[in-house]
Amino acid sequence: MKILIFLISLIVLCIAPFVGETPLEIGKILDASAMEHLLFWDLRVPRVLVAFFSGAILALGGMVFQGVFRNSLTTPFTLGVSSGATLATAVGIVFLPSSLMVFSYFFSFIGAFSTILLLFLFARTLSATQTNSLLLIGIALSFFYSAALMVVYYLSDLEQSYSIVRFTMGSLNIVGFKSLYPVIAAALLLLAVVSSYKKELRAILTSHENAFLKGIEIKKINLILLLFVSLSVGVCVSVVGPIGFIGLVIPHIIRLVYKQSSEKLILSVFYYGGVFLVLCDLIGRNLGAVSEVPIGVVTSFIGGPFFIYIILRRKRNHG
Amino acid sequence: MKLHVDTVTTSYLQNISFRVENENVVILGSNGAGKTTLSKIIVGLEENTNVYYEGEKISSLGAKRRCEIVNFVPSKLEVFDDYLDVEEFLQLSLLNGSTLCEMDTILKQLEIEHLKSSPCKCISSGESQLVLFASGLLHNAELTIFDEPTANLDSDKKIKVYEALKKYAGWKIVITHDLNIAYKLGYRIIYLEHGKLIFDGSSDAFFTTANLERLFGSSIKRLEDYFLVNYR
Repeated sequence: MKILIFLISLIVLCIAPFVGETPLEIGKILDASAMEHLLFWDLRVPRVLVAFFSGAILALGGMVFQGVFRNSLTTPFTLGVSSGATLATAVGIVFLPSSLMVFSYFFSFIGAFSTILLLFLFARTLSATQTNSLLLIGIALSFFYSAALMVVYYLSDLEQSYSIVRFTMGSLNIVGFKSLYPVIAAALLLLAVVSSYKKELRAILTSHENAFLKGIEIKKINLILLLFVSLSVGVCVSVVGPIGFIGLVIPHIIRLVYKQSSEKLILSVFYYGGVFLVLCDLIGRNLGAVSEVPIGVVTSFIGGPFFIYIILRRKRNHG
Repeated sequence: MKLHVDTVTTSYLQNISFRVENENVVILGSNGAGKTTLSKIIVGLEENTNVYYEGEKISSLGAKRRCEIVNFVPSKLEVFDDYLDVEEFLQLSLLNGSTLCEMDTILKQLEIEHLKSSPCKCISSGESQLVLFASGLLHNAELTIFDEPTANLDSDKKIKVYEALKKYAGWKIVITHDLNIAYKLGYRIIYLEHGKLIFDGSSDAFFTTANLERLFGSSIKRLEDYFLVNYR
């Protein structure tokens, strides 16, 4: 099963840059003067890479959130962190001169991180058994952000609101490698940080009490992990928009397939998160007759039903 | 080893004070007497600034130092991750010089080596209690508090845990409501009732007929060296 999935993932990654609206003649890719060269190297390859690393960030971020908040339904998306990043970016689009929008990473990061801080404040007043309440607070926050986003729409002009709408649908349309680097850097940084806290993560995956007794500085570790997740999710959202459900779907599927504790699955979740988004993008690009289906739509169509499936399964297991 | 609990008062516990110096202790008490709360305060799981270890406040110790000094072995195994197995759980307790080799010895001694690769969530309550007990031995802190180490065990396993507990060289506080175990261990006894310290003294002084009658009325019956619940 694991080998089969791995082989499929390799095939997906290999064919992804070659399949698209315009068929490519493979021979012309290396010919610098041909149209195919530009299409392949400036559009297709960056797109596959940005999909891969964004998916990786969202999946690994989801798994870390599930461990830290001790709830299998928490992800940066369900707790409102990505909505916070979206709102902050929209505020940036409307209220700041477009020349300042090179700092859009900064905006989404502020949005993501301030949401995390809010959640932390709420989590402190809740006891350890009330993680469901935290999830509900996250949902309430998301609603609040959506309402605030409406206000921002209302205040924006036609052009601005169009760019906000396109942004919230999520898009992997990037040109060239320039906007790709921050995403790759953020993804690798997140992977490195999470991997270096493997042992601590395992302790946190038992119980807070146990981690405390084994000499783990839980508060510090939680804060570091959440800081890096929000940083990378902030960067990711600023480039590709809020793409939902990956952080929920991938860690669950990988756990079901590998049947190992989460701290051993860091690399697998990172890799398959990337592959999943590349696959969704491949579907989105080739499904639409007129133009491509927005990536956020594809992941939500797959992720939504899966989310419901997980909730139903939990109900059955826990009465 | 010097432990000083200095007038600890919480919403439940009232003015608990005692000193422990180089000796093992049994904390006895009925359900809800405050035994576990008191232990959690001693190890720092619940914040309280009135507990001292060798003159230092436990609440102000760093995480590393604290886990060398005190450990608490709860009576229930709690694990969030569905697939974390017993071996992975116990590896977290390889502290203060314990080795993988010792882990295998302890598992063999408690007859649970077959559980090594079972997920912690899939083992029985008795088995998980043995796993927790093993984790306490491996952790090997200067002072370990065992919370009801025999509560869910069959008689055969109770004897195993009792023997291992006796043999364990570190200082220990054993919480129990089982008079037989308290009697057999023979340690100093601290008796709690409704959050108050009612008795603090030697095992011999505790198990006198007059004292037992004062504490339990007629609900306990002594038959030679055994204590039975006196069902009417």
